[in-house]
Amino acid sequence: MFRNILVPTDGTALSRKAVKRAVQLAREQKARVTGCYVGPPWRPKGGDESISYGAESPQQHSASMEKTARHILDTVRREALKAGVPCKCIFSMGDYPYLKIVETANRNGCDLILMATHGRRGISRLLLGSETSKVLAHCRIPVLVCR
Amino acid sequence: MFRNILVPVDGSPRSRRASLNAVRFAKEQSARITGIYVAPPYRPNVNEASIRRDFVPPHEYERRVKATADRVLRPLRKAASVAGVRCEALSAVGDYPYEEIVKAAQGRKCDLIYMASHGRRGLSLLILGSETNKVLSHCKVPVLVERV
Repeated sequence: MFRNILVPTDGTALSRKAVKRAVQLAREQKARVTGCYVGPPWRPKGGDESISYGAESPQQHSASMEKTARHILDTVRREALKAGVPCKCIFSMGDYPYLKIVETANRNGCDLILMATHGRRGISRLLLGSETSKVLAHCRIPVLVCR
Repeated sequence: MFRNILVPVDGSPRSRRASLNAVRFAKEQSARITGIYVAPPYRPNVNEASIRRDFVPPHEYERRVKATADRVLRPLRKAASVAGVRCEALSAVGDYPYEEIVKAAQGRKCDLIYMASHGRRGLSLLILGSETNKVLSHCKVPVLVERV
């Protein structure tokens, strides 16, 4: 029923659990897995008059984000490899992760998004994470939410 | 991965569509299905001064709930039997459907809830339906939300 499962991850323990579940489900459904990580875009630091010490240039920023993304997405690749599931990983940068997640899903023809209720910003056990609820509100394909 | 899938239905076309997909998914996962319909509890439609002509006594209400549950769960049952998926149909009575859904998921040891993003009260395309949202925030079981 599902052919291509998108699993957004931010490297937290909860989203790693989601990755494991996604790979397991993909194996059972004979589907592919598409991993995705969304990093923050570059922002100039400091005020108008000064360049603050330790500020990153846009190039440095994207290089360091790429490194982080590779590190985080490698866990998806490893899991998929172990299970023998075809896998593709996508890294993008954006202010609003949920928009990038929905965009990635549409662009890659994913037919299910599997994500954790909370990622990095999870505080409350009762409420839904911010990005998860926004993805739920903005996308047209089914979303499997895991605790 | 999933063994017992809970499918809440409310009789709306949206929930029917989602429930048919749930059967398909259950077949692929060789899981069984637990369907549930939640009805509002009995409230006597009388006041102190008079009894209305269309007064519904409790036993009559109970009969109506049973009939509605039967009607609402029939498409799910039928689809499941066509697909060869084991299906159990439940009905519950409660003021808050999400509570009954979560309770059933825990009581029946379901490992997935498969539901539509909106049901009877679906209004907006942007926001999640009220019961779906509450199930999501109160439940330890994974929830698959299907956009309708």
